[in-house]
Amino acid sequence: MKIVTCASPINNAAFTMLTAKIEHNRLPTVMAREEKALAASVQAPLATEGSAIPARSKMGHGREAAWTTGLRIASILAMLLVWWALTFFFPPSLIPHPIETFSEVAAIVSTGQFFTEMGATLRRVGVGFAIAMLVSIPLGILMGTVKSLENFFEPPVILGLTMPGLVWAVMMIMFFGLNETSAYAAVAVTIFPMLTISLWQGTKSIDKDLIDMSTAFHAGPWSKVVDVILPQLVSHILAAIRYGLGLAWKVVVVVEMFGFSNGVGYQVVRGFNVFSMKQVLAWAITFLVVMIIIEFGMIGWLESRITRWRPRVEAWRR
Amino acid sequence: MAYVQVENAVKYFSREDGTDMLVLDRVSFDTKEFGITCLLGPSGCGKSTLLNAISGLERLDQGRVEVISNHGSAPSHSPRLGYVFQDPRLLHWKSVEENLTFALKGMSIPHAEWSDRLRKYLEIVGLSEFRNQFPLYLSGGMRQRVGLARGLVIEPEVLLMDEPFSKLDQLTARRLREETLRICEHLKQSTVLVTHDVEEAAYMGDRIIILCARPAGIVDILENPLPPGARDVDDLQFIAFKKRLLQSVLKLMEKDEVPS
Ligand SMILES: Nc1ncnc2c1ncn2[C@@H]1O[C@H](COP(=O)(O)OP(=O)(O)OP(=O)(O)O)[C@@H](O)[C@H]1O
Ligand SMILES: [Mg+2]
Repeated sequence: MKIVTCASPINNAAFTMLTAKIEHNRLPTVMAREEKALAASVQAPLATEGSAIPARSKMGHGREAAWTTGLRIASILAMLLVWWALTFFFPPSLIPHPIETFSEVAAIVSTGQFFTEMGATLRRVGVGFAIAMLVSIPLGILMGTVKSLENFFEPPVILGLTMPGLVWAVMMIMFFGLNETSAYAAVAVTIFPMLTISLWQGTKSIDKDLIDMSTAFHAGPWSKVVDVILPQLVSHILAAIRYGLGLAWKVVVVVEMFGFSNGVGYQVVRGFNVFSMKQVLAWAITFLVVMIIIEFGMIGWLESRITRWRPRVEAWRR
Repeated sequence: MAYVQVENAVKYFSREDGTDMLVLDRVSFDTKEFGITCLLGPSGCGKSTLLNAISGLERLDQGRVEVISNHGSAPSHSPRLGYVFQDPRLLHWKSVEENLTFALKGMSIPHAEWSDRLRKYLEIVGLSEFRNQFPLYLSGGMRQRVGLARGLVIEPEVLLMDEPFSKLDQLTARRLREETLRICEHLKQSTVLVTHDVEEAAYMGDRIIILCARPAGIVDILENPLPPGARDVDDLQFIAFKKRLLQSVLKLMEKDEVPS
């Protein structure tokens, strides 16, 4: 037999076929016997008879979760400690005591003021966000799939990204006046470019082979979007929502500061007008708590629900 | 019955540097009268490209591909085509069962038939137990079997299979080959099967088309002397046919060898 050693592109195939030849030239009876042995060995594992099924290792799960929580609590305590230490160096008008600040927080919450003000701010963020998403998702997908649309929309989207939220806020108030519409518009316009860009880039990274597969099985356009494209964009959308929320909070507070009569931004301005750092901080803290609930509670929950199909990466992310 | 007709298929791809690379060089064949047509050829020669062209996913530069239905029924009836891809191409966010229903839905199979078909084909590929599992939690061979089941579950008139058994162990592969053979015969499917494996070609193919290295062109066509039911890997007649096939392949390799 000839052994092929040249650097031809079929080297691999040559190897497979040569091994095939070697193997299949053997006597049929030998092959049959080997296969019977193989078949027999497949049927049962080589365990001692009657031995119990080994138990599954369940250790470490709870401990790992406890360790994670512990680290987070330690981090928050450390921040409080630094705050408390700073009170020794600055007058209370600049750095109020943590305990006094938290009793102010309690007062805000117990009078119900927190809910009305936070409700107004959340509504503005929510509506603005929804408007931006409704435009960004289709536009981003179109930009990722149609080359001419990509070229056409790229400049405005990039320009929009560089515009500071403050400028948008001023422009929207001048345009719509001091009402809810200007708040919605300012939020929507500020986060719209960022959302669109991440959807656009996400769409470009979509697996083309899966689109081909769905074409081969005659999936309709709706099914292609819902079953094939959107699931691949979920991580991009969630990341964009997280980042967008941060932007939206900032711009909505600015809008409220301009002369709205409610909302968290308005309360912060009131604190500023009476020069009460305690009040400013108290509102900032309630704000942070709401953010944490949305981020870890809602978005985190949503993400783990939606990406159930993906094995967790924690195994190597110690 | 439906069949595939490929006439003078020519396909170029562009290289990175912009030059053209000929992948399919005037390939012509049809699968009329034949249950399973095997395409046997070295890696990278253009077998997957040929299947893509047949399925309509890839455009040819010259020549044509037609999937013809000699149903006698309405001429508007376009034959149902199933494709088992080389890589499984599963929707990772859908369970095994949902991956199959995705195909059933796309192919407009009546909803009433879904559960029976799902049960039957998941059973055949041995994945009934895993029907609610997500693909990323399955082994490579299991994913390949999901891809196989997805191609079979729509009970296509023309079935394209690209190395569907390559990631399976010998025994599982053998069982699935037998099963596929039976299904193809029962449903009178016209099947194009791509493979590297000479024995698989001899076992599955009613006709074996041997392709040369890129650009792929047909160098030999062999007809299987044994009917599907009479092919036994230990049978002397079968082994003789396999040898003939192997010789044809080896001859091709010697011709391609670069003299040093
Ligand atoms: N989309 C593409 N663009 C450019 N070149 C391609 C493309 N797809 C395939 N090719 C080239 O075409 C040739 C044939 O590819 P193909 O996938 O058809 O090979 P194959 O015969 O299926 O090989 P294998 O047995 O390894 O799967 C290869 O050289 C590959 O580099
Ligand atoms: Mg291939």
